[in-house]
Amino acid sequence: MIFSNNTARPDSFKEDATLFIEQMVSQAASELTKKNISRNRRVESFKAYFNNHFAVEGIGKWILGRYWQKASEKERDEYLALFEQMMVFLLVDKFSSYTGEPLHIKRSVIQDDNNVTIFSYLQQKNEKPAIRVDWRVARSSEVMKVVDVIIEGTSISNTLRSDFSSTIRSQGYSISGLLEVLREKNSKLRQQPTN
Amino acid sequence: MLKSLLKFFPSNVSRIITVILVAASTAIAGCATAPNPNDAEAVAEYQEINDPAEPTMRAIFAFNQALDKAIVKPTALTYRNVTSEKFRAKTHNFLNNLRSPVIFFNDVLQGELERAVTTLIRFLVNSTVGVLGFNDVAADLGLEFHDEDFGQTLAVWNMPEGPYLMLPVLGPSNPRDAVGRVVDFIIDPLNIWATNNSHDWVLPTHTALKVIDFRALHYDTIEDLEKSSLDFYAAIRSLYRQRRMDKINNGQSNPSKSVPSIGEFLEDDPDPIYSEKISQAN
Repeated sequence: MIFSNNTARPDSFKEDATLFIEQMVSQAASELTKKNISRNRRVESFKAYFNNHFAVEGIGKWILGRYWQKASEKERDEYLALFEQMMVFLLVDKFSSYTGEPLHIKRSVIQDDNNVTIFSYLQQKNEKPAIRVDWRVARSSEVMKVVDVIIEGTSISNTLRSDFSSTIRSQGYSISGLLEVLREKNSKLRQQPTN
Repeated sequence: MLKSLLKFFPSNVSRIITVILVAASTAIAGCATAPNPNDAEAVAEYQEINDPAEPTMRAIFAFNQALDKAIVKPTALTYRNVTSEKFRAKTHNFLNNLRSPVIFFNDVLQGELERAVTTLIRFLVNSTVGVLGFNDVAADLGLEFHDEDFGQTLAVWNMPEGPYLMLPVLGPSNPRDAVGRVVDFIIDPLNIWATNNSHDWVLPTHTALKVIDFRALHYDTIEDLEKSSLDFYAAIRSLYRQRRMDKINNGQSNPSKSVPSIGEFLEDDPDPIYSEKISQAN
């Protein structure tokens, strides 16, 4: 699918993206926090939610950076599957323990025709200071997805990119080395649910 | 010389010192392998990482982690378990208030007069009405806390950060922030007062409190990062730089500069222009 510049309507894009984030948060509160369901079902429903709202594949590719071009078709497929699995394992329990702290959207800034940043604060309980969360939302002609989350000025995509490329280097610039590390990581994460 | 020095220490301490010295000298010998100069992308990556003494820094990081696991982390955990959230919040307020003179000084040096006034009023209100700073009354009046340090001031004065450094005990840094730490220490009225009046307990107590407060406050974040990262050292290096950049810009950095655009997320291959955006972003 290719972006079409003709669809660019910066003003409504801002509003649409803001609405998209608001709906995403309220959906998390209503759908992902149900009690009394098995962890497997929880993982499955989070996986669907995650892919609906986040550009999982796009983020995965971007994180690999220049190494994406060097990976074989088979390595790419396995990498994307492992990356998705790792993110799901890391986030599923975080999302399911969300207790509905309100997210206040402060403003939004258009980056270009297809990218907008939404600036928000996540209120915390017990008078703890609110957490600054910025959402980078990208769109194609038909879909809108989150491509990065920036918490207190630190980008998750950027941090993962540094982490993964350093791992590739320490594995002798080998993608298969990274895949091995990811497989090991996922088997650990599967065993011990995050809290 | 070394032997005569070691005589003064009990045998187990001297053994530990010898091990550290040997480890340090071995580590210093190791520098990050420079990439093939013909591979432009690898060279760009090497420069972006800007960690020329990486093997040494990783050795120091391993030492810091061992120290954390042996002493700091268990102490922070105990602190969290025996105190209430409210108590920790008040202690944190107290420590923030003690930092006010240093923050004020750096606000002024950065030409941020409005922020300097905020810091000054906060200090006066919280030290009195807020009972020695334990209550952040000023924040309720709309004067929120902000931090500043001399490392940030040097950045505002356009001094480059220099290569990444992992300082023993103190953690991630760079030459600019390391200089900043020293200057902040020298100008801190609390340190001047304690030194001039021979209150030897003040500095270690203050330092210990700051370390435990920081570790307890970020306990879950650090745990999560260690669990989620493939290379904890690299993840911390990236986070440290991003966090410092955010602080230097007082949380107002332009997102198009600090965060790469991933606009082509549905395309099969990254757009070539896109890689340029990435290098600009970094």
